[in-house]
Amino acid sequence: MSRWRYFAKRVLLSIPVLVFGASITFLVIRAGPLDPVSAILGPQGDPQAYEAIERRLGLNQPLWQQYIDYMVRLFTFDLGQSWVVQPNTSVYELVLSYAPRTIWLGFWSVLIAIFIGIPLGFYAGLNPNTFSDYVASFGGIVWRAMPNFWLAVILMSVLSQSEKILFGFDWEAWLVPTIVTGPPPLPDPIWGLFTNPDQFLRALKKIAPAAIVLGSASMGNEMRIGRTAVLETINSNYIETAKAKGVPPRSLVWKHIFRNALIPLVPIITGEAFLLIGGSVLVETVFDISGIGFLFFQGITNGDMPLVGSLMFIFILLVVVINIVQDLLYTIIDPRVGYDGGN
Amino acid sequence: MSGVNDDADASLVERIRETPQPAMRWLAGALALFVLEAGAVVNAVTGLFGSPVDIPTLLSRDVIPNNGYQTPAGVWEETFLGLSAGQAWAFRVVLIYLYAFIVAWWVWRGYLVFRKHYRHADWTPRDDMVDRLRGHRWGQFGAIIVFMFVVMALFAPALGPTTVERTISDPYSYHVEYYEDGELQNTTVGQANLGSRSQGNPDRNVGPMQYDDFGRFHPFGTIPSGKDMFTFMAAGARVSLFIGLVSIGISGFIAAAFALLTAYYKGLVDLVVVITGDSIMSLPRLLFVMLLSVVLGGSWISSIYNGGFLLALIFAGTGWPFLWRSVRGPAFQVAEQEWIDAAKSFGQKPRVTMQKHMAPYILGYLLVYASMSLGGIIVAVAGLSFLGLGISPPTPEWGRAIDMGQAYVTTSSWHISFIPGVMIVLVVTAFNALGDGIRDAVDPQSEGGDTSTEATAGTGGGA
Repeated sequence: MSRWRYFAKRVLLSIPVLVFGASITFLVIRAGPLDPVSAILGPQGDPQAYEAIERRLGLNQPLWQQYIDYMVRLFTFDLGQSWVVQPNTSVYELVLSYAPRTIWLGFWSVLIAIFIGIPLGFYAGLNPNTFSDYVASFGGIVWRAMPNFWLAVILMSVLSQSEKILFGFDWEAWLVPTIVTGPPPLPDPIWGLFTNPDQFLRALKKIAPAAIVLGSASMGNEMRIGRTAVLETINSNYIETAKAKGVPPRSLVWKHIFRNALIPLVPIITGEAFLLIGGSVLVETVFDISGIGFLFFQGITNGDMPLVGSLMFIFILLVVVINIVQDLLYTIIDPRVGYDGGN
Repeated sequence: MSGVNDDADASLVERIRETPQPAMRWLAGALALFVLEAGAVVNAVTGLFGSPVDIPTLLSRDVIPNNGYQTPAGVWEETFLGLSAGQAWAFRVVLIYLYAFIVAWWVWRGYLVFRKHYRHADWTPRDDMVDRLRGHRWGQFGAIIVFMFVVMALFAPALGPTTVERTISDPYSYHVEYYEDGELQNTTVGQANLGSRSQGNPDRNVGPMQYDDFGRFHPFGTIPSGKDMFTFMAAGARVSLFIGLVSIGISGFIAAAFALLTAYYKGLVDLVVVITGDSIMSLPRLLFVMLLSVVLGGSWISSIYNGGFLLALIFAGTGWPFLWRSVRGPAFQVAEQEWIDAAKSFGQKPRVTMQKHMAPYILGYLLVYASMSLGGIIVAVAGLSFLGLGISPPTPEWGRAIDMGQAYVTTSSWHISFIPGVMIVLVVTAFNALGDGIRDAVDPQSEGGDTSTEATAGTGGGA
């Protein structure tokens, strides 16, 4: 099977997944015991207003009719409006105003995790069974098991009081003055970040603690898997051969070990997307960053079901796309991976 | 195998009848151990059908009381043997853990007795697995911590320095005695709790291993409302373990059933389950769990076990595809074996083939991933209650303790957030370590092999 046919098959297979995922969401939101109309009206709503809203939202129609409407709207990317959190605002508008902060957070949490986790893992793998290997491995294991929200609480408290605890090091005044909690100051046209280094630094410093926390689990994973990957590569025959041929150690490490050890890390890095989408709720709540996760949480707790349904659809779409990209990357990096199956 | 009965089909009972001594000796020991705690079992069983019957139990707070008061002369009254409250509590905890470890050791002895005297085969592949696990220090570390966690959950009412009813759910119906100004005073527990609050300033803080003004000992200090935190944590361990075990049990069962069915029938059945599983996996798990727990929060299921049962069902419903993914491969492998073909052409029923010839093979893998995802479920449950979802409020849950202590992390009441977090890290690491140990025992070649599934199983869906 050629790469393109494989790609077509993957896309085709993802359609039922998308439909099914959206259907499950519909089932939970509309067929569940939750009543969106009373969420809009509040506890004391009169029956007339109740019926009017019900009619306006199309909730008086039979369930199958609602289902068809819902699916058609989602798949034509008509994401509807928010009902409760910010009434009569389109979901697009909400996403556009909330998403940049989450993307900024997610970008740095992936990057920080990669730049700390992988080098540490490779270092541990290149020096197996030494003291530093044990320290790094054990650290990775513990780091991986730490609950995001707990780490966030501790880090937030320590940094906001840092001059008392960290021997006079004052995080909030360091480099550029910021406070620990709150959304990152992203400039209005977003490319202002790249033209103005001061703004860039400010936004980066603001997001750094949250990004480290959010990336913590993946960092531990990358470390562990990086270590095993290096160990496996070192012990393989072609490295033996290269050594015997007299390849200098430096190019042995960089050309032969490093590149091959990166292969098993691809699914881990793309898999981070799932962790980020889920974890962002907790981390954004603790650090008071009003991003997508926070918006979703607000939607859930306020019973704003259309918003929740549309956001869920966006998340599913993201996950499906990331999965396809991951499989494609895999076939490009490692041609030995079979096109059929994959799993 | 002592070679008394070489009939391979003889049942265990027949074999025991043949050479009764080792079995009887083991049984006597087991009975003696059971009698010590029989009261607790009777209490729990009768509690299911009405008012529980109280029988004196060795390891209970009635036999080893730690609630007492100190006279001005420094003598402790009403505590066990006149020890101080802290010492009496520590004595009881040590005894309980001693007892638990002896029971575990005795069960292990029982397995050895069975292996030596009553099993027909001299050797089975499982012996090798057990031997590999015996040499696996990291796995053993995990097993011990997990065991201690389970004991904490099982013996929660006896381990705490006080009980949940006394201090958390109904503090104004119980009384505490203490000396003040040379006189014996009596006040309600609720009133005393107001005086033992931990709210961040040094005057108003009861830290770990401290006594409060009422002569009550707090091994983990108190929470901001003045209630004993160790009692809170022990009861919370029970809730976490319950949710973890129930949800893993259900999702493991679904995963195993689907893995066997899809591997046996393949084709359309497989495709349908793949698409269903992929759809559920494409929903971001933690967010979907949140959504479900809010939507179903008002239904009758959420009243069972303070919402714990509902959470267990939700985690089972969203978690089975992950487990199924990880056993699907092994199930397909075993379905390709000749003995399955043989069983088919032999005319054996599909159900029997799956149960007898395929299930044992995937069970080990299931155990590995179950252990690894259990830690993740514990983290996720804590994350939900941190946000105020899931377990309904007065019921102790570790995540809520972290939430309560949020404002006090850098103050003298640091223990409120810190201790639950450390315990979660410890328990999750232990479950992962146990999973590693079982994996290396079941499948020694696989070291770090199937990494992507492991990575998703090993973390708490992003919590």
